[in-house]
Amino acid sequence: MNRFEPKIIAFLCNWCSYVAADAAGVARLTQLPNVRVIRVNCSGMVDPSYVVKAFASGADGVLIGGCHPGDCHYISGNIKTLRRSFLLKSLLKELGVEDGRFRLEWIAASEGPRYARVMNEMVEEVRNLGPYVPPSRRSAKGAA
Amino acid sequence: MPKKKLAVYTATGCRACENSILDVHFQVSPVTPWAEVSFWPYLAGSQWQDLDGDDQIDLCLFAGAIRTADDRKAALRLREKTRLIVAVGACSAFGGMPGLVNLGGVANDADPVATDESTQPGLPRTEPRVSALSDIIDVDYVVPGCPPPKNLLWSAIQALLCPGECTSRISYAASRLPDPISQSLTSGILPPRGSTFAGDKAVCASCSRVKEEKKFRSVFRPYAIDPDPGRCLLEQGVLCQGVATREGCGGLCTAAGAPCRGCFGKAQAVFDPGAKMVSAISSTFDSTKAAEIEAMSREFVDLAGTFYRYTMPAQCVLLAGPAKDENNAGDVL
Repeated sequence: MNRFEPKIIAFLCNWCSYVAADAAGVARLTQLPNVRVIRVNCSGMVDPSYVVKAFASGADGVLIGGCHPGDCHYISGNIKTLRRSFLLKSLLKELGVEDGRFRLEWIAASEGPRYARVMNEMVEEVRNLGPYVPPSRRSAKGAA
Repeated sequence: MPKKKLAVYTATGCRACENSILDVHFQVSPVTPWAEVSFWPYLAGSQWQDLDGDDQIDLCLFAGAIRTADDRKAALRLREKTRLIVAVGACSAFGGMPGLVNLGGVANDADPVATDESTQPGLPRTEPRVSALSDIIDVDYVVPGCPPPKNLLWSAIQALLCPGECTSRISYAASRLPDPISQSLTSGILPPRGSTFAGDKAVCASCSRVKEEKKFRSVFRPYAIDPDPGRCLLEQGVLCQGVATREGCGGLCTAAGAPCRGCFGKAQAVFDPGAKMVSAISSTFDSTKAAEIEAMSREFVDLAGTFYRYTMPAQCVLLAGPAKDENNAGDVL
């Protein structure tokens, strides 16, 4: 009954992943309602700070969706995201954010079914991990 | 005119900040007609009872992080007695190196047995997490640094302690300080509450090295490379945190060939120092292949301890202390 419903923030690029999300909706594919989409012009503009801020503000998982490498509307924006993702993942891990909570996925405009599948997969994975509580709030709860 | 009263105290810290205050040495003499030290345990052997009189302290320079129950008590007591409190040094301002202990999660005191101090002196009780001074009390001003350079300390002492007509009011420290602070140095009007005695921009703005296109091939620990003089350290593969760090030191370390370690805390425009450094470093990786990039990323060790070396309790967004008003914390989404 009391199933944990994770909050997932998805930064989707305007040209591929966002269109895929649209297509998934139009095709009436089943999608779990735990995802909050933020449309960005390019996945390359998603600064690591945005991801950190999402977690700090109560997100349980963050996904960045971009065009497949080579397909970027801005030629190489998605490569910039790719470059940042590994170091960001290690930093998040050291700060206590488990691996499965942050994902970088390439989803092309035509891949509506893939979008729905990736999102549903991620929701279930984060559901299994449980809620993400920043250590600061963990201590506040413990003291109370 | 009665002399103004100065207090200096270090909580959990190494007292290098107090030594840095002493380093101002002969320049202090113009201040002596205006101010006197009334509480300074390290220098004058002051006791807490010395604060019991009716007199208010005019300026307290508080160094050190809040780690033990005694630290907290000292901070509260000095706040009660003092008109202006300045957080001096990285520990007091952001939690400093002692704050890295927060990375281990919330710790409960392992040995809660109260010892009898007279017969069996024990270790002081520690708090569950290390805090910056501003998590405990309201702080009027901040002088960052580990330890703060003496020119910034001197500018703070002048701006906050000396009346306008003091002959020591010189502006050698003011060149790259934000306007309100350099104005207060020359005019004697207090800077806005909460001001930091340092610059606004990043260390790169005052670093003397030439910055060209940054391309990372591999990272070097400082001992493993003899960097070219005059060229940006980050370009040469040394992990320099100048990009994310507040300026004010004038690029002292980078000028000497040592990478910036971030002791001034984050620059004003930076949201989270770690995220900023991740972005700054990894976007300059000279590769487009996932496997190569991943291999380069693996060369970095201890990211959290490096990027938040001085700032974890106050400026690491994910680990920072609970908001003062806990009712409003969280539930943003």
